[in-house]
Amino acid sequence: MIDVKELLRELREEPYEKISIRAPHSGKVEFVAKEPGVRVVGPSGTWKEVPGTLLARLERENVKKPLHAPQKGEVMSLGEIANGQFAQAGQELMTIRHYLTREEVISRILRRSLSLFLAPEKGKYYFFPDVDIKIKTKGSQSVHIEDGMELFILSRMKREASIRYSGPSGIIYAVYFDTNDSVERNSPLIGVCPEDQLGQIQEVVSRVQSDWEERD
Amino acid sequence: MKNPSESKKHKVLIANRGEIAIRIMQACRKLGLAFVALFTEPDKHSEHCVLARKLGGDESLFRVSSYLDANEIFAVADQAGATAIHPGYGFFAEDYRFARRVAQRERKLIFIGPSWQVIRELGDKINTKRLARKLGVPTVPGSDKPVTDDLEAENIAKSLFEFQKELGVGNPVILVKASAGGGGMGIEEVPDLDKFRSVLRRIKSYSKRQFRDEGVLIEQRIFDFNHLEVQILSDRTGQNPVHFGTRNCSVQSPGHQKRIEVAPGFDPSSLRYAFDAKKVIEDITEYSLRMAREAGYDSVGTWEWIVSPTGQPFLMEVNTRIQVENGVSARIAAIKGKGDVDLIAEQIRVGLGAPMGYTQKDITLNGVGIEYRIIAEDTDNKFAPWVGRITSFGWPEQDWLKMHSQVPTDREYEIPTDFDPNLALAIIWGKDLAQAKERGVEFLNSLTLQGVNASGEAMKSNVEFLKRKTEGILAF
Repeated sequence: MIDVKELLRELREEPYEKISIRAPHSGKVEFVAKEPGVRVVGPSGTWKEVPGTLLARLERENVKKPLHAPQKGEVMSLGEIANGQFAQAGQELMTIRHYLTREEVISRILRRSLSLFLAPEKGKYYFFPDVDIKIKTKGSQSVHIEDGMELFILSRMKREASIRYSGPSGIIYAVYFDTNDSVERNSPLIGVCPEDQLGQIQEVVSRVQSDWEERD
Repeated sequence: MKNPSESKKHKVLIANRGEIAIRIMQACRKLGLAFVALFTEPDKHSEHCVLARKLGGDESLFRVSSYLDANEIFAVADQAGATAIHPGYGFFAEDYRFARRVAQRERKLIFIGPSWQVIRELGDKINTKRLARKLGVPTVPGSDKPVTDDLEAENIAKSLFEFQKELGVGNPVILVKASAGGGGMGIEEVPDLDKFRSVLRRIKSYSKRQFRDEGVLIEQRIFDFNHLEVQILSDRTGQNPVHFGTRNCSVQSPGHQKRIEVAPGFDPSSLRYAFDAKKVIEDITEYSLRMAREAGYDSVGTWEWIVSPTGQPFLMEVNTRIQVENGVSARIAAIKGKGDVDLIAEQIRVGLGAPMGYTQKDITLNGVGIEYRIIAEDTDNKFAPWVGRITSFGWPEQDWLKMHSQVPTDREYEIPTDFDPNLALAIIWGKDLAQAKERGVEFLNSLTLQGVNASGEAMKSNVEFLKRKTEGILAF
């Protein structure tokens, strides 16, 4: 069993995450958050339907795409691009310093406690359709998986291949990839928890919930 | 030939990647035109980025999120001051809506390709078939519109079986396709009329379920055919198309992707055919030109043909773009006695409005060209793409060899997984078929291509497959 106390101590030493805000596509940038120190909030609401603080707008073909803060925090620095200039896709616009939330701390600690299934190859991953539907409707923790089960579709170079899960049986406790993102080889795809260890995992979760303080 | 840069200073945005982006850049340089190239994150180590910087400096290369984001491409075009867009092949090349936007947006640009009306007209298989039939051009026998009526469908099926019997086909087969389908979905083969009825019902209900459309197409299934193409070029007048001969693209992977292309399409001077091969080549060329004239075709384009073992040609489709294999036709062509033809440069030149400047009689064809598509794939395992890092890539230079590749020869290269694993095109020229084949094998034997994947296994490529297939080139 992992040492939750020790992990929490480590995280308390560096409780921030630096989030880089990059241009999702090319276009002319118009900053709204114009200087370091500006406090921002992430999306809120039951379904995260309320977008976070507006950071900038990116214009292409007369369409202005708003860029919102993905997390709560403070603007640390602005990128090398000036207001009104043309940003190329992927260019850094600013960085945000974000204080880790309870959920994120739980997720980081669970990554060390769950059995991780790693991407066997670089490519885009999708769940098999029936698993996908179950995850979307009932959440990933409703899915029980077993060694040898066809679980993923790997798409690369315009071809698809099915990938079997190998590892202990259990439920999919956490999903670590986004559909349409290219996943590097050996990056974790899912974290699996055998049913008989669910109690221990729950314990970790409640421990963090009581020990980690949220910050405004 | 009037150079388009003389009349107006043009700048071409290259909306593509890899080897075709490189060839467009080189063509722009040849014509004295400025260009701007694009790349996405996975392509950042591609040779097309290195060359863009080398030829045009840092300002000639823009990083975009996707080659398929039209808005972003236009934003870059405006920022870079581009006046024209070359779509290459794939991506937006045959998208008439994109071509229309290029021409009609607020800041108008030139689409280097056919006008959007021509793309719309010939991009639709059924439209193309109708136009062909109107002009007496043979198409794959079958329906020329989606059929919904069972009786009509049965009559077409009956006539197709009878037609094949007349041709002496032992076991005639027809295809029933969901007209709204594509990519091999909703297609079944039918060997007789009794089975036809049940297949028709099945395809109709499948099509209704999947596409909310009951229409089916009924076509003859042609076995053991050769796949030929006619290379057409016309300027913006659309009135004076010329051809650059034929190509044979019959060596394909099991997924019907081309692996070897040969120009000309048949070689009756050294091989025996069961039919008059010279006449077939003349016929399909004439038919293609007839359709190009009627459609007012105004760019480069390819008419794709199926030729049956008895020498009957059937038009399959028209590709309203520059094709991967254009270089093999260019390799055997000369204009007014001058070789080293560059069809991409010609496409850009006439695309920007220059008149053609020559006629069919100025074009001569000489020798045989072979194009090999060198691909990282496992030919013993359903041609599955091979993923990994290329550690060494090189070949001895020859005056009969042209290589087009985005893979660097001076450093290692990770093959991006977001695209086809195409590595290079090698175009070989010989004075006749025998010499071209001999040089082809010599090239493949001298090619260095090594790599390793994440598990430490050696690279797999189709080089041995290409070698094996060289012997039978153009035999039919």
